[in-house]
Amino acid sequence: MPPIVSISKLDKYFGRLHVLKNISLEIPEKQVVCLIGRSGSGKSTLLRCINFLEEPSYGTVEVDGLAVHSGGKDKSYHQQIHAVRLKTGMVFQEFNLFPHMSVLENVIEGPITVKGMNKDQAIALAEKNLEHVGLLFKKDEYPMRLSGGQKQRVAIARALTMEPRVMLFDEPTSALDPELIGEVLTVMKQVADEGMTMVVVTHEMGFAHDVADRVIVMAEGELIEDGEPDAIFNHSTDPRTKALVERRPVDEGRKKK
Amino acid sequence: MGILSKDQSAPKSQAELLYEAQVRKERRFRINVAITWGILLLVLVLLFSGPIKIDKEFIKNNMLFIAGGLWQTILISVLSILLAILLALLAALGRLSSFPPLYAVSTFYVSLIRGTPLYLQIFFFFLALPQLGINLPGLWAGVLALGLNYGAYMSEIFRAGLASVGKGQREAAMALGMTPGQTMKRVILPQALRFAIPPVGNEFIAMTKDSALVSATGFVHELMWRATKVGRAQFHNLEALIMAAIFYWIVTLILTFVQNKIEAHLSKGDR
Repeated sequence: MPPIVSISKLDKYFGRLHVLKNISLEIPEKQVVCLIGRSGSGKSTLLRCINFLEEPSYGTVEVDGLAVHSGGKDKSYHQQIHAVRLKTGMVFQEFNLFPHMSVLENVIEGPITVKGMNKDQAIALAEKNLEHVGLLFKKDEYPMRLSGGQKQRVAIARALTMEPRVMLFDEPTSALDPELIGEVLTVMKQVADEGMTMVVVTHEMGFAHDVADRVIVMAEGELIEDGEPDAIFNHSTDPRTKALVERRPVDEGRKKK
Repeated sequence: MGILSKDQSAPKSQAELLYEAQVRKERRFRINVAITWGILLLVLVLLFSGPIKIDKEFIKNNMLFIAGGLWQTILISVLSILLAILLALLAALGRLSSFPPLYAVSTFYVSLIRGTPLYLQIFFFFLALPQLGINLPGLWAGVLALGLNYGAYMSEIFRAGLASVGKGQREAAMALGMTPGQTMKRVILPQALRFAIPPVGNEFIAMTKDSALVSATGFVHELMWRATKVGRAQFHNLEALIMAAIFYWIVTLILTFVQNKIEAHLSKGDR
């Protein structure tokens, strides 16, 4: 089976800082990949390069058969990026729900505005996904009235309602109070169980260990290890990996903000 | 000691007592402010009914004439603020543009208008343009001058409003596949405008008073023009200006009231 995400020879600079160094990576369909690494290792940047929220400086990103070479300037390049974004759904650390829209409006916004879906159809789809994350009963609330965990579950429903081929999660639990992390991870596990291809940047080692098919360790802009969770968590010889998986680094991501 | 409530059967908790004391203190403050306002107003009224001689006959005869200017004052203010909002929004968007000519036009406009007096700009549209063969009707020249001027100042308000919307909002919209235009229209602008409504209200109130400057050209018969016309003609400037002042004040009070209501509504819970 051809990979659904394929990154080749990707480099990313922030000014003079070389944050991603010649990354190549293939992700098969339905795989759940966790990207782990210390803050500043480049894992979030790599994730954001997949849907071009960060533009790679060099290299190629291919999603579901659509290859985009970095550095384009013309209209077709932007159309390609747009097409890639339609194939990917993203969940952010800070949720980024639209505060001026109700929960339901947040979820139907994409299908209606971007895909031109008619409203009834969008509502049916949105309600199905809200039900899925257990928040249909909150559909008329505004995000301000939700807990962090609820906000993140709505954000997941919003991304799923675009029916993406790949879901990208950027530290989805790092901004949450510890007691709210579980409900979000449960929903993510559920999405994984349904066969969604997922790329998850996380500090939740428990989730990476239990749910991921594959764990990739990043350090200083490079992929230093790549393997099954058991190999990474129990048999790694790399001191950086060992330092990462030995402590319970639940809090690290939160400190960043 | 202290003030006991009527219902002494249930003893009150300390928190309740403290809260009540706080409420009483705030109420006492408001009452004292209101009383002082009343006294100041009374002093003004007494001054003008005794020591300062004013011609009541003149007031009676010219009240309606001056009041007739209210309509023009309000009309010119409303039209000008609409133009100003449009220009301010365009200037703010231009300021955010990465396209050099747009950025340049926006900053040039704001710099030029802020660098010259409003009074001059008003005369420019009334008196200088006709020399070039451009004759704008009085009202429109006034609206153009005020709108252009306030638009330049208000562009800062909209710029701050746009800046108040976090980067994450734009990213979330883009990740959903929205185009930059859709992102602006559906996600950024609604939030930015909400932020901008209270300060725009302030500008509108300021503008109703600055519209008086338009009277200087003699082409728009709004409040100020009417007051100076009858005041000068009959040498009763004092009475005429007092009447105009009262009208402006009343309009401002009403607008401030509406403004406060809107602000309270916006700051309430679910945004």
